Amino acid sequence: MSVCRSLSKNLGKSLVAGLFLSLAGAASAQAGSLNLLTWEGYADDSFVKPFEEDTGCSVDAVYVGSNDEFFAKLMGGGGAYDLISPSNDTTMKLIDAGLVDPVDMSKVPASKEFFETFESPAWLSKDGKTYGVPYAWGIIRIIVDADAVDGTPDSLAFLWDPKFKGKLAMWDDIETVYTAARYLGIEDIYDMDDEQLAKVKEALLELKPNIRKYWFTTSEMGTLMQGKEVVGGNSWEETLLKLKEDGRDIIDVDPKEGRGGWSDSWMIAKGASENECVYKWLDYVSTAKVQALGHKVTGFGYANKNLVGELTPEEKESFETLGMSDPETLKTVSWWQPVKQRAKYLEIWNQVKAAQ
Amino acid sequence: MTDLTADTYLPSEGESGLKRAKRIDRRRMLFWVLPPTLWFFVFMIIPYGMLFYYSLGSVDYVTFTPGLSPANFIKVFTTEPYLGVMLLSAKLGLFTAIFSAIIGYPLAFYLAFHAPETVKRFVYLLVIVPWWASYLVKAYAWKTILGTGGILNTMLIGAGIIDEPLTIFLYNQFSVTLTLVYIFTPFAVLSIYAQLERIPTSLIDAALNAGATRWEVFRKVVFPLSIPGILAGAVITFSLGFGDFVAPVLVGGPSSLMISNIVINLLGVAFDWPMAAAIGLVVITLGLALISVAHYLEHRFQHRL
Repeated sequence: MSVCRSLSKNLGKSLVAGLFLSLAGAASAQAGSLNLLTWEGYADDSFVKPFEEDTGCSVDAVYVGSNDEFFAKLMGGGGAYDLISPSNDTTMKLIDAGLVDPVDMSKVPASKEFFETFESPAWLSKDGKTYGVPYAWGIIRIIVDADAVDGTPDSLAFLWDPKFKGKLAMWDDIETVYTAARYLGIEDIYDMDDEQLAKVKEALLELKPNIRKYWFTTSEMGTLMQGKEVVGGNSWEETLLKLKEDGRDIIDVDPKEGRGGWSDSWMIAKGASENECVYKWLDYVSTAKVQALGHKVTGFGYANKNLVGELTPEEKESFETLGMSDPETLKTVSWWQPVKQRAKYLEIWNQVKAAQ
Repeated sequence: MTDLTADTYLPSEGESGLKRAKRIDRRRMLFWVLPPTLWFFVFMIIPYGMLFYYSLGSVDYVTFTPGLSPANFIKVFTTEPYLGVMLLSAKLGLFTAIFSAIIGYPLAFYLAFHAPETVKRFVYLLVIVPWWASYLVKAYAWKTILGTGGILNTMLIGAGIIDEPLTIFLYNQFSVTLTLVYIFTPFAVLSIYAQLERIPTSLIDAALNAGATRWEVFRKVVFPLSIPGILAGAVITFSLGFGDFVAPVLVGGPSSLMISNIVINLLGVAFDWPMAAAIGLVVITLGLALISVAHYLEHRFQHRL
């Protein structure tokens, strides 16, 4: 089915791209409309409606289910979108493929209030230019049921403890490959050579007996923890918070090897810089007030450090427990970077999953 | 149409009438053959051609480079994990086919020979109704049944058979096979039923009159005649099981990766369309080979009834 879908996507590309390109080009040049290709929750009515009223720009959002869709949709006849919001492992691919325009940060004054980490992150910079405005972010949490461990683990090594046989769930994602690389103490985990990758594969195979399930969505991880199918693994903040709300005693492990972090940025699709609504949106969504509204919808962290001042006391408390308002926490995070050998990483990941 | 038949079959019309009819026939045939040919061309030949085109190229980081290299096909057979995953998918597909047939046969048998007309309609409906529910819902249902805190474990503990919940029911190849069998069995039932229904009762009566026991009638008359139906059902259930990607995601364990999951991964996060296309073509070729073999066997076992 997927084969068909991508083929038809491609067929569409070759047959009608030209036509749609010109149509969409005309549409986005017209003042007052903005087409977003983004994640659900990134164009919520709670802040889109006021934006539309204030600026007269009407906002239309199409949602994606995964990062590769940004790339595929822009490759397969972009033009239809003005702004996109990919994660930090995809941004450089879009920049290198010439699918996005550089951002003039002086036109986004609210970005002065960003955490230092997001001032000019490596995943958005090329040849001295910045190609995106950081927006939501999160840390991949390592979690474990407090009853299952003695004390608080301070290292990822506990995941490899044979006593957790069939008791853990890890994300079915390249992030788990990174986790194993961090555990091995590899220096540049985003640029490993074949030898290092072989070692990582070895470590992942050693971890495998402990895995009950590789999860696909963080809510699936939540269900696994709730049903006591597993006692720990990695998860997103959302799941950790939900479990804590349920009264579960879950440890949010802060391993000395570090944790992975994702960060989404608003990027301008090639040619859309002309659209006067684009910068209005970029500045609007960078303000603390609007990011607080976003947080209410998604529960994610946001780039503006003043966000915490806009939160309700309860929100603020959980935000601070997770260390998400502390610039120092952000500095310890191993933020995802573009990986040149991505296909190779994913190949060993598939090999690990296929191993019997 | 009536004119035409009259033309063709009326001998008094003579030679010229017959020729004329044949000409019209040919023209009409073209009219009827063109749409399926076009359909076949647009939806089969062109996409497969594109698949083939992609499979011979390569991807370097963000760009696709067309080429004429068989490297991807070689990789399918020589590099982990592709061939192994294909074999595992085939294994699970085979299990799906076998168990669907075993479960489906008695039901099809009952429907064809024993069920009164009203019951038949009702049971027939029962076989089809699950298809109104989404595949996802059905697969999720198995999660709640087989899970650690699931219905099965609760029942076993309640009955005092086990003390601790068992984890062996879910997130492994067993649960994948079970889900696939559950979901695809209707195909086996319907195709076996269609075949069994064609067996004239006079054949069975004759065998009984000739002194055969009921078991002998089944073994020597009914079963051999139903083999084409079993094979047709098995081809469908095998193919559906082999190509499934939902069950491994929902109820599969860390080692139940199937080939369609790999293809999705390659098309998506890995951005390796050429490799995905190569795997797709290998799978299609294997599928064609399988269908040809099944077709040959079906004909061998098919008797004119």
